[in-house]
Amino acid sequence: MTSNTQAVTSKTWSGGRSPFKISYGKLMMWIFLLSDAFTFSSLLVGYGAVRFSFPSSPVLTETQKISPMSHIGDDFVEKMQQTGIFSEKHWPSADLVFNHFPFLHGIHLPLMFVSLMTFILIFSSVTMVLAVEAGHRNDRKKVEKYMLYTILGGLAFLGCQAWEWTQFITEGSTLSSNPFGPSQFAALFFIVTGFHGFHVFSGVVINFITYLNTVKGTYEKRGHYEMIEKVGLYWHFVDLVWVFVFTFFYLI
Amino acid sequence: MKKNDNENYDPITYVPHTESHGTKDIWKTLIILGAITLFDIILYFAMPHSMFRNWVFIFFGIVKAYYIVGSFMHLKNEKFELILIILVPMVLIIALVAGMLHDGNFWLQFK
Repeated sequence: MTSNTQAVTSKTWSGGRSPFKISYGKLMMWIFLLSDAFTFSSLLVGYGAVRFSFPSSPVLTETQKISPMSHIGDDFVEKMQQTGIFSEKHWPSADLVFNHFPFLHGIHLPLMFVSLMTFILIFSSVTMVLAVEAGHRNDRKKVEKYMLYTILGGLAFLGCQAWEWTQFITEGSTLSSNPFGPSQFAALFFIVTGFHGFHVFSGVVINFITYLNTVKGTYEKRGHYEMIEKVGLYWHFVDLVWVFVFTFFYLI
Repeated sequence: MKKNDNENYDPITYVPHTESHGTKDIWKTLIILGAITLFDIILYFAMPHSMFRNWVFIFFGIVKAYYIVGSFMHLKNEKFELILIILVPMVLIIALVAGMLHDGNFWLQFK
């Protein structure tokens, strides 16, 4: 009799249980990330539509071509404007806009810095998933270590982005105008990378809180490191968004 | 697995028991992500700008997304119903892309 009633209530969708076999908090994190994915895709698809409404920048002739590692003067942007390579009529090519690298002033290094940022974020994603794996084994020391690496990776990325923005702004970009091309170019750059950067910032803050809780032994007392997993989901999502920001802003 | 199905528990406080799957998969994913990103950068300089190259970049973006979501976020280890709940709404994004590209094309012609 009792086994009969239990068999009825244990049906996946009859209530009283998690039909997905995950905790409430983790399910809610997934749902939040789904909604966040919509926010970012709206921004990126909006960017795509604006980008598509402008012709691409003309192909450089043999004499105009700048080989990587070659020296460029401080009047690089002015020269590009005079030759019509930077014009409000067409979308600028990312390798001519993002060609700076810290401590290597005046050397043409197209997309090298942003590639470095991409690798930093991938590596911090790996240390995060290593922390989650250590959490599965209840290995507190390892969780502490990898959470710390993840936080450092996040801070390194934020530092790089601050440098990139500073460079972009000192060259004369604002939300309403920029020397490279249509005004939408810089506006969308600030909005999308800014929104992503804010996600990284809040991710670092949340990572730091869970790191402190790990050090304090909160999760050890709780008996599981599920919180690391939930924070990890958010952190991987931030990495995922960067993959697409990198693809759409810099590669396409 | 079967035993757990008949267990009664409070869905608000329920936390499933987790087991480590080892670090082999993590390193494999790192190598795949790094290799694709490197290939992206090489392709950017090796091939002139074209619509085909853009589709290659988008394709590799989706491949990277598969590995990040599937392996790092462990979605491929979750229940199939959860995978569906996360992936099916992505159809809306395809509709958005189609609509906005149409609009972008209209603006281009309008100019």
